[in-house]
This record gives sequence, structure tokens and C-alpha cells, in this order.
Amino acid sequence: MDQKISPELLYLNDVSVVFDGFRALNSLSLTIGEKEMRAIIGPNGAGKTTMMDVITGKTRPTVGTALFDGGVHDLTRLDEATIAGLGIGRKFQTPTVIENHDVETNVELALKADKGPFAKLFSRRTPQVQERIDEILERVRLKNARHRRAGDLSHGQKQWLEIGMLLAQEPKLLLVDEPAAGMTDAETADTAVLLREIAETRSVVVVEHDMIFVRDLDVKVTVLHEGSVLAEGSLDHVSSNERVIEVYLGR
Amino acid sequence: MTSTRLIDFKGYVFLAVLVAAVVIVPGLNLLLPADNPFHIPSYLVPLLGKYLTYALLALAVDLVWGYCGILSLGHGAFFALGGYAIGMHLMREIGPRGVYANPELPDFMVFLNLKELPVWWWGFDFFPYAALMVLLVPGALAFVFGWFAFRSRVTGVYLSIITQALTFALLLAFFRNDMIMGGNNGLTDFKDIFGIPLQTQGMRASLFALSALALGLGYLLCRYIVTSNFGKVLVAVRDQESRTRFLGYKVENYKLVVWVISAMMAGVAGALYVPQVGIINPGEFSPANSIEAVIWVAVGGRGTLVGAALGAVLVNFAKTWLTGAFPELWLFALGGLFVVVTLFLPKGIMGLIGSMDSVKAWTTRRRAVAKPAE
Amino acid sequence: MTLLRILLCLVALAGVARAAEPQAIFDRLASTKYDDIEAGVGDLATSGLPAAADALSAALDGRLLVAPGKPALFKTPMGTTIDVATNAPAAAGADAGLKPVRVNNRIRRAVATAIGTLTLMSPDARARLRAAESVFRGRDPETLPALDKALAAEKDERVLAAMRRAKAAITLTTDAPEADKVAAVGLVAERGDQDGLVLLRGLSETAPAAVKSAAASAIQAIETRQAMLARVQDVAYGVSLGSVLLLAAVGLAITFGVMGVINMAHGEMVMLGAYTTYLVQDLLRTFAPGLMEGSLAIAVPAAFLVAGAVGVAIERLVIRHLYGRPLETLLATFGISLMLQQAVRSIFGPSNREVSTPDWLSGSLDLFGLTLTWNRVAIVLFALAVFFALQLVLKKTTLGLQVRAVTQNRRMASSMGIRTDRIDALTFGLGSGVAGMAGVALSQIDNVSPNLGQGYIIDSFMVVVFGGVGNLWGTLVGALTIGVANKLLEPFAGAVLGKIILLVMIILFIQKRPRGLFALKGRFVDA
Ligand SMILES: Nc1ncnc2c1ncn2[C@@H]1O[C@H](COP(=O)(O)OP(=O)(O)O)[C@@H](O)[C@H]1O
Ligand SMILES: [Mg+2]
Repeated sequence: MDQKISPELLYLNDVSVVFDGFRALNSLSLTIGEKEMRAIIGPNGAGKTTMMDVITGKTRPTVGTALFDGGVHDLTRLDEATIAGLGIGRKFQTPTVIENHDVETNVELALKADKGPFAKLFSRRTPQVQERIDEILERVRLKNARHRRAGDLSHGQKQWLEIGMLLAQEPKLLLVDEPAAGMTDAETADTAVLLREIAETRSVVVVEHDMIFVRDLDVKVTVLHEGSVLAEGSLDHVSSNERVIEVYLGR
Repeated sequence: MTSTRLIDFKGYVFLAVLVAAVVIVPGLNLLLPADNPFHIPSYLVPLLGKYLTYALLALAVDLVWGYCGILSLGHGAFFALGGYAIGMHLMREIGPRGVYANPELPDFMVFLNLKELPVWWWGFDFFPYAALMVLLVPGALAFVFGWFAFRSRVTGVYLSIITQALTFALLLAFFRNDMIMGGNNGLTDFKDIFGIPLQTQGMRASLFALSALALGLGYLLCRYIVTSNFGKVLVAVRDQESRTRFLGYKVENYKLVVWVISAMMAGVAGALYVPQVGIINPGEFSPANSIEAVIWVAVGGRGTLVGAALGAVLVNFAKTWLTGAFPELWLFALGGLFVVVTLFLPKGIMGLIGSMDSVKAWTTRRRAVAKPAE
Repeated sequence: MTLLRILLCLVALAGVARAAEPQAIFDRLASTKYDDIEAGVGDLATSGLPAAADALSAALDGRLLVAPGKPALFKTPMGTTIDVATNAPAAAGADAGLKPVRVNNRIRRAVATAIGTLTLMSPDARARLRAAESVFRGRDPETLPALDKALAAEKDERVLAAMRRAKAAITLTTDAPEADKVAAVGLVAERGDQDGLVLLRGLSETAPAAVKSAAASAIQAIETRQAMLARVQDVAYGVSLGSVLLLAAVGLAITFGVMGVINMAHGEMVMLGAYTTYLVQDLLRTFAPGLMEGSLAIAVPAAFLVAGAVGVAIERLVIRHLYGRPLETLLATFGISLMLQQAVRSIFGPSNREVSTPDWLSGSLDLFGLTLTWNRVAIVLFALAVFFALQLVLKKTTLGLQVRAVTQNRRMASSMGIRTDRIDALTFGLGSGVAGMAGVALSQIDNVSPNLGQGYIIDSFMVVVFGGVGNLWGTLVGALTIGVANKLLEPFAGAVLGKIILLVMIILFIQKRPRGLFALKGRFVDA
């Protein structure tokens, strides 16, 4: 099936994930359009990270459909590397960079390219590649740290480096798990600006707890609770929803 | 962070030492009279050559462990398989000079009442074929093993334990007489190679030089790999396997490639080892051998290549000396080495040298800071 | 004609005594001609001497000593020398110049039959049973009259059945009527064992068709039964091997499975337990020989303490610094295992140490044709006892609760006031101590040498990994499965190949299910 069968970039339908009888996702349905930006909020344990695991191939859904790129690719049958190759990038909740490589190399590894072992065995860094790296480092403001060991960066810098690595992958869909966690207020605001900028050319899904951050993003919000969608709409719309208030403020 | 040049300073020193060894060891052995104090006795040449083959094995272990995080407790198996491949050639070379004077069958087969050569011995009289098998047999085993193991994402200690089980299974298998690989006694009583007796001074010197050459080339190959983009991916796999997958890399393929290359290097090391020590038997498969190879790497410093080679030579030198002088102490020393290195020297000898560098850098900086105050 | 004499003897035993001159018999036995010796054997059996039976069985293993003109002596299995004529201990040095009676297969057979008939009338029922067996094997038609007589007098059911079968066996060799023979085949087939099979297979070609077909179906029945028995025996051996594996692995299931520590010195803990047994026995032998029978009961707690203490020391000194670095732990503990082996080798020497088996564990148990040695049975029971005791400790005690708390969430446990480092040390000590107890059991079936532990370490890891890490039940099932599979494979593939096949199968299995048979599920195992 090479024909796009639907206009959506990401299409989740009736997805459930069961761990030992516990439903981490419960008939979750969700669609993300091309170049759409979406914020996903929800209390701890709502299944936000699990949803990203399903989309990126880390976890296989117990039942359900997960299609990408207008229904061309069935995500439930592909492994992580293939899915990443299709153009889905992911930023983890805790920043994970390759600590023993310098900042440049981290970005270089992420760059969109032939990622087979033999291609890599016979390739070295070319001027064009260097140019791409510079461009991205410029964008995530790490140009001055380019030769530093990634492990020596501050927490905020690591978050940015990881976003830089995602950009280097040139994904069609970007999944960002709690990017503002552990950032200063200024850094948080900067991150929101950067994400909005990125969303101009691609789809972005942001999971976040920080309501101020979500307000800064100013996009459609999906509220997840106990593994399924509780409410969807603008932030003002969902935060006036009674059930959302109940879930967030406790009964 | 590893340096990205193919040959860095340590590499030049290492290669220079190798070249010097190739000139000096056979030179002092062949050219100086036996009563000269600098003369190297003939028995020492294959001993030193053996150290070099161990160093090559250590490089192979370091390539997968130091750069890709795969702790193999079974590399001795690849080493031994390479050794058996060349041993089979040497057995065929004996020809009719065996005790039973059978032109076709090695003595132990006559002893087993075999009438004809088993299929898997065919072709080993032809050296290029045997040499090919030195690479192919360990390579194929590594490929099959790695294909299953890496695809099903067996990692960490689980992988280590099944590599150990692999070499243990081969140990048991090669002990069996029905394998027709010499059973308990293995393959020995070799006479010559290319018609030149193995015991001649010239042959010993050549084997030594060949081992040094193989070590040098092995080092360059490893350096090429680890400084390439491939090597950068390997380090990423070592430090953040799951993250690397999400960057779009099929981790299992990377592991498989480096694993097979490493196994082949170990096979070459074994093939050079056997003619120098004159025997290959199932004991080479024993799990303890493989773990010893790991400690060479740990002592020298994992992930440094040069350190691995250095560790192999130093530990084996100590072994030769201690088992001769204080045999009781050797296992205490070796065991203690494991503990001390893992507890106190996680970066091995190269780490020590490295920290001396940084001490030097620190003192010079202090001096630089101190100067204006004068 | 010997047998005739024996028959005469039986008559004599029943009534009037009639005996050849003892010295004449001894001289005959001292002859170099087998004919004479055979005659002598018959004479001895009919002599009516009380020592005749013992002397005859001594002749079989060269313990009956004779010389022309001298009194014959025999040595008991204990080594005392007895005068055959008087059945009293002989004077020291009386055996000078005496030689063992020459035996070949013919003599051996004559002696066996003689003994058999001699004891058919013994007052001891077990001796009669043995005699009936020996007649069965000898199936000499000449024993028939004696057998008939014994049959008439026999009261004991079991002996009676055995005698009937013996008679049937003889019937088959004579030219008795066809119907009798067919009935005899049925009786022989009742035995259902190797001896019966040999006899039926050996039926002559000339036997009547009815007998032959009866024999054929009897053979078939016995063979099926034996094949089944062999499988059952294999399974029993497998269970025995499995419990040895369980003993060796269950300590590892704690240190590796519960704590996640790879202890390559685990095998050496087992070895220390075995040496503790040796030391305990050595001390008892010198200071309290009366307690030797209970040596194992003392060795079990001693081994637990010794290995446990060493384990705690290893944890405190080395492993504690390596948590979270499993590969380094593996290497460091391998180093420790080398040092422990060498230490034991330096102290006790490289050769095997003798650990004795108490009487109550020697011998074997016969169960419907299955033979199980008592020490194997005891190991199965011991392994299960250790296993369930351990389950109890982990499930019901505070220590167990704390151990589980620490393994599931170290940070949380610590913030609840559990001293995690103490728990780590104790858990490791517990796992090591259990390994030490395994060593006591293994000292009964394996060589106590510095390498003892090496033989078990890979197997133990296989069991734990196969069974599923962090799950003691998995270890139990894993150990028994591997043990039984090993023994079932052995008859087809041979011991070594069987083991290789099993190793390869486990390797493949681990690759299919990296977390083992009973994988723990949950997020924390992913870390
Ligand atoms: N591998 C797993 N095994 C068992 N339970 C899991 C696993 N992964 C997630 N869960 C459970 O699923 C629920 C959803 O988790 P998660 O997706 O991380 O929530 P969120 O990211 O919204 O906080 C949680 O209760 C978590 O404990
Ligand atoms: Mg989450």
C-alpha cells in the first residue's frame, strides 16, 4: 500500500496497551495532521509516554491500529530504527544524548542520511555535513559548545542538544516528552518559541505538565486520562471542562 | 572522546615499537652469537611471538567490548577455531612422516581406524584454503550466533553468559573423538609449513615478524573502524543503545558487523599462535581462557586498543615469569588483578597514563597562572 | 555328577549326616585340575561343614585358600581368616603357603549352583530367596529334585513365587510336555526383567511352535516394560540431576536473580561448603568419632555459616563498590573465584579430599524395578527442603520483606528506613550460604577438589536464566526441566553430545525469550 488513504500524518485508532492486566492505554484514538502542533496533557500515569512508545515502535499495542503518513505505514509492525527512518523523531522525558561524544558528533549521528553500517564504515565528515551541523547548532544555540563533551553540558543544554538532534533527523513528526522539565523559566520560554518555529515546517506533538508552557505554545490541546482521550480543544476550552477539572484537582 | 585521526600519537608509538620488535628480536637472535649478552635465545622468539598473537586477540576483544559494549566471554572460541584451521593444514603437511606413515591420514585418524579423510578435512592440504577457513569458520560462527543474539536483543550479562556457554559447548564438542579433530590430545607433532621445518630459527623469526605484521594491520583496521562514522555509531550503541535506535540506526546490524570482524581477527590470532606453540587442543576453548583475554584488555584500558595490546603482553609476561618462579602465586596474582583493576583502575594502564597527562596539563596551567604573579 | 553329590548332601542335610573326610576335600580343591576342583566343590557342599556356604562363596573371589595337606582357610570380606574345618578364626600366619582355589567359568558355575542348592533350605527367608534366584540363573536340571523338595516345604509367598519361577526356568531346558513349557514361559515372563529376557531369548530353535509363540509375546511384553522402565529410570535420574542443579542454582537465583549481581565465584561457595564438610568430618573423626553418623547434620549449618560469611565479606569488600556495573562485577568476582580456588589448593592440596558417606545414606532403594541410591534420594529431598525454606524466608520473614522491598525499589525502601546496604550484604550472604549447603550435598556425589565449583557455574547460570531471573519457582522448574531433558537425551545422544545439544537449545531459548521461562514483568526490569 503506497497510496495515501487518509489525509492525516498520524492515525491512532482504538489502541490499547495492557501490561499484566493493567491498561496503560485504553482504546486511545488520536489523529495528527500535517504540520500540526498538538499539546498533550494529563496527570501522571495517564499513558502519555506509553503512547509515544507505541508510535515509535518501542511498545507493541495489544490491539489497535497505528498508521503513519496517510496510512501508508503500519507502525505496529516496524522496529524503532525503521520508524525513525520514516521520519518520526522522539525526545525523551529525561534528556538522552551520547555523553561520550562531543556536541557536534551527537548532531552528526542524528543527521538524515543512509544509516546502514556499510555506508557509515566508508564515510567521513564532509564540508556539506559540517555546514548542516553548524546550521543546527546555530538554531539550538550550542555553537560555542560544539567541541564540548555532551556529558558535560548543563541539563538545559542537553535538552536543547536533543532538540537539535531531532531537527537533524528532519522528521515529519516530532514527539517531545516534557521538554520544559528541569528548565529555568527563561529557558522554558525560549523552548516554546523554538518549538513553534519548528512546527512551521513539520508536525509536533508536545507532552507537557507545565500549564504556562502549554499556554505559551497556544495550540490545540488533548487531555489524556487513564489511557484514553478525556477532552480535546483549545486550552481554555479544555480547562473549563468539568471532568478535566475533576481529574486535575481531585474529587 | 576518541581522537579522530587514523593514527594518533599513541598509535605512532605503538607502531614504532612493533617495527622495532620486528627488527630487534629476530636480529638479536639470528645475528648475534649465543654467548653475546644481547643474544635472544631461540626459545624466546616463539614465546614473544605468542604474546603478539595474544595482543591481537586482545584487540579483537577490545573492539567489541571497549567500543560497542559487548563483553564477550567466548572470544577464545574464535581464537581456537582459527588455530584448529591452521592446525589441520599442518597435520596434512606431515604427510607420510607420521608414526603410521599413512600418506593421507594423520596418525590419530589411523588410530581411530578411519579409512578415509572426513569431508571437513578436505582441502586443508591446500594452504590458501586453510587460510580462508581461518577467517571463514570463526566469521561464520560469529555471524550465526550474532544474528540470533543481536536480533533478539540479548544484551549485557545475558549475552556474556551465552558467549561463555558457546565456548563451553565447543570445548565439550572438541573433546569428543567423533569430531575427528584429535579429541583430547588435539592436533600436534607438526613438522613444517611450506616445506620449511617449524623449528628452524628462520621460520621462528618469520612467524614472529608475521605476528607483528598482523598485529600492526589489526591495529590499523581497528583504528579505521573506530575513527569512521561507523565507530561513532558503535560508541553511541555502547552508551545509549535504545537512543541510537530512535536515531534510525539498526543496532543489530552494527553489532553483527563489528562482532564478525572481531571474531575473524581472533581467528587470525589463533592461526598465528598454533605454529608457534606447536599444538592446539580443546583446552583452548575453556571459558577461563576467554575471561583471561578480557582481563588483558581491562588491565591495559578498554576502549584504547593500544592499551589492550599492552595489557596482553604485560599480563602474559607476568604469567610466564610467575608460573616459573612462584607457581602458587600466579592465580592469586591473576585473581587479584581482576579485582584491583575493576575496583581501582577502571580505565586501566592507559587511563593512568592519561591521568598523568592531565596532571602535567594541570601543573603547566598552574605555572602559567602563577607566572604573572611573579 | 557333582550335582548328584550335592543332592545326596541335601538328603544328608535332611536326615543322616554323611560326609567325606574334610582334608580329602581340601586336597581336591588344592588340585591344579579343574575336574578335581569341581569335584571338590561338590564335596564341600555335601560335607555338612557349617562353614561350607561361606567358604564356597569365598572361593568365587579368591578368598578360599588351600594347599595340599594343609587345613583350608577362607577370608571374610572384613579380612578375618577362618578355618573351614572348624569355622573358627585361624591362628595368625596359618595362611602361609596357601593359595586361592583356581576358578574358571565352569568352577564358578558349579560353585554358584552348589551355593544355591545349599541355601535353598536355609532358615533365613532372604537366603532362600537368593538361592532361588541363583537356581533360576543356573537352571541346571539336576537341581530340580532339591528345588521340588524346597518348594514343598516353603511357606513364604515371595520365596515360593521365586522358586516356582526357578522351576519354570529349569522346565524350559528339559523336554517337558509342551503345555508345561507354555505355562513355564508365563511364569518366567512374570519376572519382567533382564534375566527373564535372556532366558526367553535363549530358548532353543527346536522348541515347539506354541512355546515359541508364547515366548515371543512374553519377550515383547518384557521389552516394552523394560523400555518404559528405562524411561522412568531416566526421568528419576533426571530429577536427581535436576535437584543437584537446583541446589547449585538456587543460591545464584538469589544473588543474581533477586539482587542482579553476577557472582562468578558462586561455584566456589559451593566448593567451600564441600570442604567444610570435609573439615567437619576430619574434626569429628579425631575428637568425637561417635558423632560421625551425624556429620552431615553438623556440616550443613557449618557450611552455611562459612560460605555465608565469605559471601558477606565479598559483598562488603568488592561487590558493594560495583553496583550498577554488572560487567565489572562479573570480572571482579571471577578474580575472586580464582583466588578462592588457589587458596583452597594451597591449603588442602590439589588432589581430591575423601568425604565419607554415613551408613544411613549408603545402599540403594528398590522401587518396582527402579534402583535409586539413598544419597540421590536424600539430595532430592534436601534440595526441595532448601528451596521451600528459602521461599519461606523470602515470603514470611522481615528480612525477606526487606529484601523484596530493596530489589523492587531501592530508593523508596531506603527512604522508608530500611538500611539497604545491610540488606544487600545479608542477601548476598544468604545466597552464598545456600550455595555452601549445596556443597555439603555435592560432597556426597562429586569429587571434593578445588575445581568442584567450576563444574556447576555455567549450569547454574543456565538454570537461572532459563527459569527466569528474579523468580525462584522458575529456578525450580528450570532445574528440573534441564535435569530431566539432559538424562532423556543421554541414551540417544551420549552424555557429552546430549549436554551440547541442551546448551545449544538453552542458548536458542534465551534468544527467543531473553527473560526466561517465567519472566518478571514490569518496568523496573527494563532498566
Ligand atoms: N513496561 C511497563 N510495564 C508495566 N507497567 C507499565 C509499563 N510502562 C508503563 N506502565 C504503566 O502504565 C501507566 C502509564 O505510564 P506512562 O505512559 O509512563 O504515563 P505518563 O507518561 O502519562 O505519566 C503507568 O501506570 C505505568 O506504571
Ligand atoms: Mg511520562
